[in-house]
Amino acid sequence: MKPLLAFIKKEYLEAARTGKITILALLFALFGILNPAIAKMTPWIMEMLSDTLAEDGLIFTDIQVDALTSWTQFFKNLPVALIAFVLIFSDIFTKEYKSGTLLLVLTKGLSRYKVVLAKTALLLSLWTVGYGIYFAITYGYNAYFWDNGIANNLFFSVAIWWLFGAWVICLIVLFSSLLQNNTGVALCIGGTVLLAYLLSVIPKVKAYSPIALMNTNSLLMGEAEIDAYIKAIVIAASLCIVCVAVSIPIINKRQL
Amino acid sequence: MDVLAIQNLKKHFGSKEVLCGIDLSVPEHSIFGFIGKNGAGKTTTMKAILGLLKADSGEIYVMGEKVHFGQTNTNRHIGYLPDVPEFYSYMTPMEYLSLCGEVCGMDKTDIVTRSKELLELVGLGKEYHRIKGFSRGMKQRLGIAQALLNRPKLLICDEPTSALDPAGRKEILDILLAAKEQTTVLFSTHILSDVERICTEVAFLHDGKIAMQGTIAELRNKRVSDGFIIEIEQKEVADVLINVFGDFQYTEKNSLVFHGSEDRFFDIMKYIAENRIPIQRIERIEPTLESLFLEVTK
Repeated sequence: MKPLLAFIKKEYLEAARTGKITILALLFALFGILNPAIAKMTPWIMEMLSDTLAEDGLIFTDIQVDALTSWTQFFKNLPVALIAFVLIFSDIFTKEYKSGTLLLVLTKGLSRYKVVLAKTALLLSLWTVGYGIYFAITYGYNAYFWDNGIANNLFFSVAIWWLFGAWVICLIVLFSSLLQNNTGVALCIGGTVLLAYLLSVIPKVKAYSPIALMNTNSLLMGEAEIDAYIKAIVIAASLCIVCVAVSIPIINKRQL
Repeated sequence: MDVLAIQNLKKHFGSKEVLCGIDLSVPEHSIFGFIGKNGAGKTTTMKAILGLLKADSGEIYVMGEKVHFGQTNTNRHIGYLPDVPEFYSYMTPMEYLSLCGEVCGMDKTDIVTRSKELLELVGLGKEYHRIKGFSRGMKQRLGIAQALLNRPKLLICDEPTSALDPAGRKEILDILLAAKEQTTVLFSTHILSDVERICTEVAFLHDGKIAMQGTIAELRNKRVSDGFIIEIEQKEVADVLINVFGDFQYTEKNSLVFHGSEDRFFDIMKYIAENRIPIQRIERIEPTLESLFLEVTK
């Protein structure tokens, strides 16, 4: 247990001292403010554009903005935040393979699976905290400007999108155990998500794909039931565990 | 007792056979020089000992325990210094040693006292900056401190002096010599003067095999004298000797090297004595490690 904790501590120190935590905090805070800001500015932007649009035959009257507009924006911006997260941390393993820093701690007797666990713990905790900041800021502004009560199943929607992010993070761990450089890791994650997306086009598969966890719009509108997401939740959660579990024997056999 | 024993270790990369059956034993409290040309397989052997590399066949025992690839149980006996040690550059030396200490399960007070003691030993006692700005020599020294932290029974150093200037090399060798009290040292190198300076035992690795192994004295005794050097005051007299005996060679202006039997040598001595030839120096040529190395790697 002690070696694992020591290595987790090292991971946090690394994330803090290399500025990754700062970047992440700024990123999530900025995106968090952006959601209500965009919602708030929508009528003003529409007004600015109304003259040109009117010439095209589009006429806007009395645009209504509420918390739902901001929450829709929240889920629209999430993929960008997640991509940024993946890019920032795609080298979390590969950097250590390349520089050879892992060599010394492993020859000191650290088990390889503890490296996997420590890095997974760091990634998931940072994703959770960053996501929490993002959510809290949007929630606060929305409550101040409008009424959050208008969004149905809000906490559930937020939770399943978090799970989608957790799955993508476990993919970082899996592909890092297989590959040598971070570009490959990022590309493979993109490829896997794309594949899951393509599969989810098939009606029979749709409910099982982790991609379903990103479709929160109908939940917010109250048009979809929570039950419809259970399968995707179970699949995504299992995939998370499988990804991490599979990376351990792969890393154990890796020649360093 | 042997701290390290290797039996019939084989390893190939692609079609290249790097190690073709290495047998090696390292006795306790020795400083063992592992000598070979660049690319001879020294690092490969060391990585196999550390379980970082999967060997094709053969067995490795550290303190009598078998080494398994990927598993690091036997590494608790080993301190390892790679040829270019890489550390977490955002840490200070003290923080890094704390991490290492915690990883190998030392208790807190022991980590602090041992780290201070070792940083003092390697001359980094007053270094509170992050490792980022360290020179190669400093990293090498921190590497030794890191390797010695958990009082290993075997210290493995991969070419610890190859990239350093003469002053840095001397420092590292002195530290290794000091470490001999506490541990057994196995270090690879191709710098033979380093070996002569501190090693008690050596092994030559060539063509994937141990070409020769033993104490330095033993290896030297395997080869009888190479010949003699005679240094003469005047060049003209040296020419006379060459004319008479023929089998001399010039090394410098007034120095002649003679390779041949002892009888022939005494004939020459007799001639020198009879003709009262003034001599500055006569010296038996000792076989050097270099000549041994060159012979082995021919």
